[in-house]
Amino acid sequence: MFKAIVSASTLRDALDSVSVLVDECKVRLNEDGLSIRAVDPANVGMVDLSLDAAAFESYEADGGVIGVNLARLEDIAGMGNAGDLVHLELDEETRKLHIRIDGLSYTLALIDPDSIRQEPDIPDLDLPAEIVVEGNQLDRGITAADMVSDHIDLRVDEGAETFHIEAEGDTDDVDFEMGPGDLIHLEAGPADSLFSLDYLKDMNKAIPGDAEVTVELGEEFPVKLHYEFAEGLGQVTFMLAPRIQSE
Amino acid sequence: MTPRDGTDSLRNRGVEPFGMEFSEFADRVAAVEAETADLEITSLVAGLFADAGDDLPVVVRLLLGRIVPAWDGTTLDVGPQLCHTALARAAGPNVTADDVADRLAETGDIGAVAESLETGGQRGLAAFGAADPDPLTVADVDDRLRALASADGSGSQDRKVDTLFGLFNRADPLATRYLARLVLSEMRIGVGEGTVRDAIAEAFDVPVDAVENALQVTNDYGAVAVRARDEGKAGLADVALTVGRPVRAMLAQTGTADDALDAWAAVAVETKFDGARVQVHHDPDGETAVYSRNMADVTDALPEIVEFVQDAVDVPVILDGEALAVDDDGDPLPFQAVLRRFRRKHDVARMREEVAIELRAFDCLHADGTDLLDTPLRDRRDHLESVLPTGVSPLTITADPDTVAARETEALAADHEGIMLKNPDSAYTPGKRGQNWLKRKPEVETLDLVVTGAEWGEGRRANHLGTFLLSARNDAPDGDDFVTIGKVATGISDERLAELSDLLEPLIQHQDGTEVTLDPAVVFEVGYEEIQASPTYGSGYALRFPRFVAVREDKRPADADSLSRIERLAGE
Repeated sequence: MFKAIVSASTLRDALDSVSVLVDECKVRLNEDGLSIRAVDPANVGMVDLSLDAAAFESYEADGGVIGVNLARLEDIAGMGNAGDLVHLELDEETRKLHIRIDGLSYTLALIDPDSIRQEPDIPDLDLPAEIVVEGNQLDRGITAADMVSDHIDLRVDEGAETFHIEAEGDTDDVDFEMGPGDLIHLEAGPADSLFSLDYLKDMNKAIPGDAEVTVELGEEFPVKLHYEFAEGLGQVTFMLAPRIQSE
Repeated sequence: MTPRDGTDSLRNRGVEPFGMEFSEFADRVAAVEAETADLEITSLVAGLFADAGDDLPVVVRLLLGRIVPAWDGTTLDVGPQLCHTALARAAGPNVTADDVADRLAETGDIGAVAESLETGGQRGLAAFGAADPDPLTVADVDDRLRALASADGSGSQDRKVDTLFGLFNRADPLATRYLARLVLSEMRIGVGEGTVRDAIAEAFDVPVDAVENALQVTNDYGAVAVRARDEGKAGLADVALTVGRPVRAMLAQTGTADDALDAWAAVAVETKFDGARVQVHHDPDGETAVYSRNMADVTDALPEIVEFVQDAVDVPVILDGEALAVDDDGDPLPFQAVLRRFRRKHDVARMREEVAIELRAFDCLHADGTDLLDTPLRDRRDHLESVLPTGVSPLTITADPDTVAARETEALAADHEGIMLKNPDSAYTPGKRGQNWLKRKPEVETLDLVVTGAEWGEGRRANHLGTFLLSARNDAPDGDDFVTIGKVATGISDERLAELSDLLEPLIQHQDGTEVTLDPAVVFEVGYEEIQASPTYGSGYALRFPRFVAVREDKRPADADSLSRIERLAGE
């Protein structure tokens, strides 16, 4: 049983964060809200999303799992204005999701959840550095890095208490330095890891510019990016494995 | 390696079964690639098969550069660009897809390029306690590549790149070499279908003929290898046709009525239709499918054949025949009309209005639960006529040369291509161009045409002009002196190609990429089977099956065949 009403913008924000990594996913319809966990086909990037029942206008569910083609559902959600309400109802018999949005009715065929890749276990990592930064700032650093390279280095200078986004191209380099004045919070620790920009760019696309992003970082360890949406009722954590640093 | 029973139950419990590591597969493939002696290659491949355990069907297919069996219509659908992008991402910093393409242009081998890229810099989340365990196994590669091959085209390009990137990233350099080749379906290790057949026989101690027969019936090298290992010679003899799974078509050689009458007590004479070969699989309780000679699924393009068989046949059958285009009076139209329908994906309904297609069935491989491959032709025909009341190509069995000649005259008069001569007591041998079916056609015509252009060859033939542009003499009052009518590239030995290059190189006027324009000076005699109307060439005509016959050193361009003669021939 699943029946819910949610604003088109909240639904879109939720879907965007998952669709940057996978084409299809399992959605857990828990009693207290939705949750999605997925890992990209190369096992490099992961997303963990939860959307509390309170983020919905109305929400009823009893713990089922559905398999969803994200591009199709995003297209449908895109048919509404941000404030429009999307009505979702699961037909258990036909395994289809009935969707109504501003006079439009849509029946979405669901995917057998067993045919979708297993949800990943989330590695339990204790990362030494934590940086809280505005989504816009992160976007600026990633955009700059993308101009010169396809790799990006995230680093904390413990002494100077600064966070660096750096990129080394064949000829040009970029260093975007953020000090205490630019950051919302910094907990300094030994942290320096290299990442593929392909992934980080995609993740960055899903992060709202005004969101506070918590970046957890270590030395040659995965990075965790955590942010909230839907006025704090939605939570997203991305995790991205590092590239090996060449000396 | 040991056989691993209960793999399926392990899989069901979500436990990753262990299997042959892809790096071991790569090591052994590298040994095969390095070997030059055929017998030694076969025995290396046989050893690999013997050690493959549960991965045997996959190993067999991968060696042939295939992800799915030949009868399966799905393709990997990964273009070079996608592969280059994934390789670039798996490579060290700041390598782009264009860099990969550039290196490929230098070496000509995607495997060597991939091996040189220092892939593997990206770590997986697995290393930090999540998801898939390393190392990469043959089964992993198969799973992931199959996911890419899913026929419905679902999955975005981005996700395909991610999947490939993930594979490249997990492979060591040597494994990357073969993975890249596999992705582009070109193993290039000197192992063809014949070697695989012989290696299956050697590995599992079964006769080569038994393997060959089972392959012809199933078209599935992986499944046949497993059967050879698990059930031996008896198991191979038991393989049966499956309605819905195409079989290779039996082929004909060219021959004469005299050949046929000398060799056999009687001759089965059939009309040779100017259509396209089709194999129809029909299950009254299931699907009806139509396959081309190359086993491509053309069901959707030919709905009237599907409807016809569904209406006419009420038992499961596999029929062999020709799809023939007919005009409003039911008279045959040339082959090019059939081509307009074949493999068409869009506007099928509209094209169906323009060009009607009919089935002319001439053989029956399976009828109502009975495989007929080993049944003599004359008896297969009885089955055919009993399951299909109409649409059967007429057959005459005779020992009289005059009757054969009369059938030929009749067929040609009805605008068909000629006649087929078959041994009425022969079995159906899939995929073989044997002595039991002969196609007799009127003598091939030739034209004398002027060479006005050419293209530099590729690979081994890169230093020679390879494909020659032919023109007819334009005897119309205006326009160019010569008008193009086609290209010829077949029927020419390497030696002759070198001579022709020497002859034509001095005539080059100018060059654009690999294409050159030539002074009209040399006349080729070119054989062909038919002249078709075509917008491709300046003359408005094209040659079907053009074949180089000779250089007419006795002729000058002014003596070449004229456009008006070609118009006359095309109109006949």
